Amino acid sequence: MKTPATTNKTLEVSASVREAIARLQMQYVHAIDNDEIERWPQFFTENCLYRIISRRDYDEGRPIGVWYCDSRAMLDDRVSSLRGVNVYEPHCYRHVIGPTEITGHKDGRWQTQTSYIIVRTMHDGEMILFSAGRYLDAIQIEGGTARFASRSVVTDSWRYDTLIVIPL
Amino acid sequence: MSQAVATRPLKELVTWPAEGYTRVPFNVFSDPEVYAWEQDLIFRGPAWSFLGLDCEISAAGDYITTMVGDTPVIVVRRADGGINALVNRCVHKGSIICFEPKGKRDRRHNFVCPYHNWIYDFDGNLTSIAFEKGIQGKGGMPGDFDKSRHKLTRLRVETIRGLVFGTFSEATAPLQEYLGPEMVEHIERTLYGKLRILGRYSQLMHNNWKLYVENSRDNYHPSLLHAFFTTFKLNRLSAEGGTRQDARNWHHITFTKRFTDQGDQAYDSGMIRAMKEDYGLQDPTLIDQWIEYPDNITNSIESIMPGFVLHQILNSLGTRQVITRGPEKCELVWTLLGFEEDSEEKTRIRVKHGNLVGPGGLVSMEDGEIGHFVQRGIKGDLDGMAIIEMGGRDVGSMPTRATETSVRGFWKAYREMMNV
Repeated sequence: MKTPATTNKTLEVSASVREAIARLQMQYVHAIDNDEIERWPQFFTENCLYRIISRRDYDEGRPIGVWYCDSRAMLDDRVSSLRGVNVYEPHCYRHVIGPTEITGHKDGRWQTQTSYIIVRTMHDGEMILFSAGRYLDAIQIEGGTARFASRSVVTDSWRYDTLIVIPL
Repeated sequence: MSQAVATRPLKELVTWPAEGYTRVPFNVFSDPEVYAWEQDLIFRGPAWSFLGLDCEISAAGDYITTMVGDTPVIVVRRADGGINALVNRCVHKGSIICFEPKGKRDRRHNFVCPYHNWIYDFDGNLTSIAFEKGIQGKGGMPGDFDKSRHKLTRLRVETIRGLVFGTFSEATAPLQEYLGPEMVEHIERTLYGKLRILGRYSQLMHNNWKLYVENSRDNYHPSLLHAFFTTFKLNRLSAEGGTRQDARNWHHITFTKRFTDQGDQAYDSGMIRAMKEDYGLQDPTLIDQWIEYPDNITNSIESIMPGFVLHQILNSLGTRQVITRGPEKCELVWTLLGFEEDSEEKTRIRVKHGNLVGPGGLVSMEDGEIGHFVQRGIKGDLDGMAIIEMGGRDVGSMPTRATETSVRGFWKAYREMMNV
């Protein structure tokens, strides 16, 4: 369960694939940061996997993190829960992502990794560095549109402040 | 050893209201001197604190580091198979000795303080001091310095079903007696297999540790604060359940039994498939479960004084360890568990039920925040007090969850330990 191999220098990636992947990465963070969470599940395939797991648990090969969704419908349930069920103080995220490294291509999916940091701003103005880590993705491209078949958010820290209700 | 060295006597700090444990003075949640006394009288007093899991230190020399209140502790497996717990503080300058979350030491190295290489064995004896005799006859420790008079403080250690507990006090009753038969039975019932760690994370809470421990014993709030269960019809106060306590009312179990008025379907495999139309979830496989225990209890929270919780939420099993982080902060270390004997399908269900608990828990994430709400609410009124009268004014087991009997139990224990 260690880091995927670094970029295979012989891996041929067309400009259109790079663009589709870059677009997905950008649209994903903007949908969350701009409070358009309803769009968030659409960035995934129907039988997707989305999970948030600490770097330590990931390295140890442990299966449970703080979120584990194995279908797009479960992402929709997360959205309706955060919109209508869970109780939390209003806050928003600001993601900053690094360039995406394409590390492989297997079973019709592009393997990528992307660093991120997330600043959380509370309604009273308090800001903290909420999470830093990397996205380990398997991306499927169909008809020019890229979607996550799987996205593991591997958080550098295993300590989470208060709660995680908005997806990372 | 003490943290409360420079503080005023407790009697000057805390005046308990005449109503007794149906009232709690707000200043106990923020006063740094009260906090210092708690470290001495509770965390280093006659109480068993959770240290970790037996399976984390399976071989001789394996160790983990943890906390008992504010005190750093090393837990190590001895060559004879026993477990030692030592205060992680060098007798020389006070530095922590082990600074990793876990590791392994063979006989030759034992525990070496990184600062000046003072070395201890697994029993906490100081076995070696670097340059004890000086260099070329110069310097060194005084000739009459007696290493045997300086040891790492050792905790008493006992285990139950793979859970390792430690206590600083000789006055603490043996673990099984401390817990009482009801608590012991529930631990043994819940942890029936060989433990396997499925995940571990910590949740930082901006509230006094007692606000979390109180919350873990509060039967009254779940169906009100945690709307996920009620919205998706998973748990209601009307479902059969109740509250059990030990004879001293120090510890507590709240439980719910499976109710049968919901549509779901049992399959031959023993899995119970949730039906979409009955629950309103787009993907009801989230709550597919199997009835794991013959008592039909599907949710239970066992809270052991001072800061340990064992939970069963459907098929999610886990421990929670409360770590104090000053008067207005605490940390909750969650360890999600399964058993080595679990089938792949059972592990998968446990992984999915992990969505219900922890800082991202659909059911319980609000617990990370509610203590902070209280902490802020009371700030301007520290001479005020909380009212705890739901379910009467007494302590003891009750066949309902519409009660705060176990919150009162916590304050009874607190007052007994603090003598306030």
